[in-house]
Amino acid sequence: MSSDKYSGFQFAPAELGEDVELDLDRRKDVLFAAAHADRWTHWEALGLPWNASVEAARAAYLGKVKLFHPDRYAGRRLGSYQGRLERVFRRITEARDVLADEGRRAAYARETAPPEVRAQLEARRLEDERRASERRARLVRQNPIVGRASRVGELVARAKDALAEGRLREASNDLRLALDLDPRHPEAVRLAPEARRRAAGQRAAELVHEGATAEATGRPGAALAAYREALAVEPGNVRAAAAGARAALAAGDVAAARTLADAAVRAGPQAAIAHEALGMVLDAQGERKEARRALERALELDPGRASAKERLKGLRWSFLG
Amino acid sequence: MNDLDPVVGIDLGTTNSVVAAVQDGVPRVIPGRTGQPLTPSVVAIAKNGKRLVGALAKRQAITNPEGTVFAAKRLIGRRWGSQEVEDARKVLPYALVAGPEGHDVRVELGGRAVSIPEISALVLAELKADAEAFLGRQVRRAVVTVPAYFNDGQRQATKDAGRLAGLEVLRIVNEPTAAALAYGFGKQVQSKVVVFDLGGGTFDVSVLDIGKSVYDVIAVGGDTYLGGEDFDRRVMDWLTFGFAKEHGGVDLRRDKMALQRARDAAERAKCELSSAATAAIHLPFLLGGGEGKGALHLDRQLSREGLEELTKDLVDRCIAVTERTLKDAGVRPAQVGEVILVGGMTRMPRVQRAVREFFGREPCKGVHPDEVVALGAAIQAHALAAPAKGDDVLLLDVTPQNLGLLVVGGYFQTVIPRNTTVPTAQTHLFTTVTDDQTSVRIAVLQGESERAVENDLLGEFVLDGIPPARRGEISIEVTFEISADGIVGVSAKDVATGQRQSITVTATSGLTEEELRRILDEQLDEQLQRKQTTREIEERRQWVARMVGDIEALVPATRDALERTRFGGDALRKAEAVLARARAAMQARDGDALAAEVEPLERTLALFQGLAAGGRAPGGR
Repeated sequence: MSSDKYSGFQFAPAELGEDVELDLDRRKDVLFAAAHADRWTHWEALGLPWNASVEAARAAYLGKVKLFHPDRYAGRRLGSYQGRLERVFRRITEARDVLADEGRRAAYARETAPPEVRAQLEARRLEDERRASERRARLVRQNPIVGRASRVGELVARAKDALAEGRLREASNDLRLALDLDPRHPEAVRLAPEARRRAAGQRAAELVHEGATAEATGRPGAALAAYREALAVEPGNVRAAAAGARAALAAGDVAAARTLADAAVRAGPQAAIAHEALGMVLDAQGERKEARRALERALELDPGRASAKERLKGLRWSFLG
Repeated sequence: MNDLDPVVGIDLGTTNSVVAAVQDGVPRVIPGRTGQPLTPSVVAIAKNGKRLVGALAKRQAITNPEGTVFAAKRLIGRRWGSQEVEDARKVLPYALVAGPEGHDVRVELGGRAVSIPEISALVLAELKADAEAFLGRQVRRAVVTVPAYFNDGQRQATKDAGRLAGLEVLRIVNEPTAAALAYGFGKQVQSKVVVFDLGGGTFDVSVLDIGKSVYDVIAVGGDTYLGGEDFDRRVMDWLTFGFAKEHGGVDLRRDKMALQRARDAAERAKCELSSAATAAIHLPFLLGGGEGKGALHLDRQLSREGLEELTKDLVDRCIAVTERTLKDAGVRPAQVGEVILVGGMTRMPRVQRAVREFFGREPCKGVHPDEVVALGAAIQAHALAAPAKGDDVLLLDVTPQNLGLLVVGGYFQTVIPRNTTVPTAQTHLFTTVTDDQTSVRIAVLQGESERAVENDLLGEFVLDGIPPARRGEISIEVTFEISADGIVGVSAKDVATGQRQSITVTATSGLTEEELRRILDEQLDEQLQRKQTTREIEERRQWVARMVGDIEALVPATRDALERTRFGGDALRKAEAVLARARAAMQARDGDALAAEVEPLERTLALFQGLAAGGRAPGGR
């Protein structure tokens, strides 16, 4: 029976015979698990079948952890088994982290689907694709105007791929071309503004990052320029406005900082960074009470915001004397 | 190791500490030698140079504000120059100075710069002695609790404190986790549990999944700067402003003794308001009026609504942290099976109401908010000391903050994200960036910000002895570990040769190993010295006892003579004071105090003998 449990695993006598305070069964469990930890799938690590539920994963983990947690053997002589226990514990915990989270579990289940399940899914997908292309071909045969439509369709499809892969500028271009050919193509009409907006957002994010780097290396002037450009590309970018206010402050331009901070709050009335930036600027302008209110608002929106908390504390203390 | 050797659980609190142990399978709080379950976490050097701990230290705090250290937990493991320390310096009556390396914080006490772990060690040693007196056996091992949100430096410093107190710290356990352990003791809990721990100095919230006696922490959150003392300070500020308004801008905080009295009164009023609708704050003769005016008194009423108004945002912050932690855990308030309230501040009705409203259920009333943490620590201590009986509890805790590195541009790169189950380890590859580079510097930080400077620096590690080679050709594998205590370890090896790299720590916020050794050596010297002087003290005590007896015998004979004159009355009072001091010194077996009383006793005895013989009052000198 026990040979079944370890599926014919050959235990090294030297390892099995080490002078430690663990009974024989436990030694075998640990040696077997440690030898397989790296090869196991998450399912195997917890002794579960493919696609087991989150609840099953949790329950299995609780069982395994009672066997393999080093604390279960605290104060005993464990020799080389100590390291093995720790390794196995980490491995089953890693499996639990994936399988006890519904989102990650589902993704992992798709990834690790057994061949027959995967073949079924693949066949279904191919079948859908085949039908769609047949339908398209039939339409082209029936109507010459559809010829142009299919080229528009190609552009839109390419744009959609680019969109999915994050090549936003390409997507935006393809959609513009598609709209030139067919200004009323419903998908192109629907996607184009979004692609344009996201492309702008991406560019703005790049500029914000550039600004942050300049700021971190002590060049507030360059940072301010980058943030301003980001705002020009994407006028509603709260981060750019808030960070710009900070950079302007560092560059000594309080008036510009105020304009940017106000813009940040307008763009993101619910954004803690915006209120924090406004608080900083107000503080610099000597409006302590207003500054405090802005910082409190920032903390209300994001209570864990340590920087705002500290600034607020600073204000409180100087207020108290 | 002796299986019967007792192990204790210690809740080392900001304001109060508690020790507990499992006896006959049941966790019990061990009362202090004064009979109280709570020992104030206060250490003092009294005016006569004597070291006081606990209730004795707290009792003399008002008259000795500079020599009394309280709330040391707020400073433990903190770096000199950090915001927390700067803030503390503004409000604490005792003086803080930088440690010898300029990294950690010391307290100026009795003319010496004392490290914070040494202060905490005195409290721990007191609890250890209480436990030994109660259990009748030596106690060498303990589990000590810390707020879940403590970082590596704070945990390490707490462990050092244990060592200085002569305790092997088996494990550092998070306070809310310990509370959950105590809550689940003897029950078959199978649900998600939230611990809401609002203590003296910190706020912690933990979400646990409990089943099959495994206590699995899913997420922790908190604020190391939010606790009962912040509530006290709001009341204090209210008192201060009111006082200033009433007395034309007089700031009572100028006077350290007045400040301490107001602080005590604020805390007392806050506590009273948990059961009463109003509290009277009456502090007569709080300040001298100055410029010929009379003394100033403070006399005010605070209602429960008033207190709630003063502290509304603090309660709101607790709820906001709770909300975020539940989100981290992926648990909705309705899925929570039980809410456990821990910490004295949760006695405040407004706090209880906020919790009730957020979770839509009545919080658990079955645990004692002051004792539950120590009881849980005792349960874990018991499980670690005598493990694997099958039904023992098992704790799976998580790391509270992201652990990461400083990378180019001043950014913070996470290596181990927060809420990762500990113990855990992660390996990262480092490479050289210049030709023939022989060392790599790694700054390890902990925190939530993406900007490195906004996080806590745990230490800087230098990997050296790298063989010269072209840049990028050498790969060094660095392993970051977090132990079950939540303490960080770093090790490194050369991938090509498999050789382990040496690592030196260049900056930490705690005591260095040498310093720890030195303090431990000093303690040993002190003990040896004490043994030597015990005999001397005993001899001195007998000598003093004889003199006291002689004087007392002469009192009836001289009383008449003394009471007749003004000078005589004065002398009698002085003699009585000398006798009282001598008796106290005898009881305390305090060698120095005894020596100090020998001369006054001799003078008094001579005077009394003269009076008894001559029958006349002295005419003054």
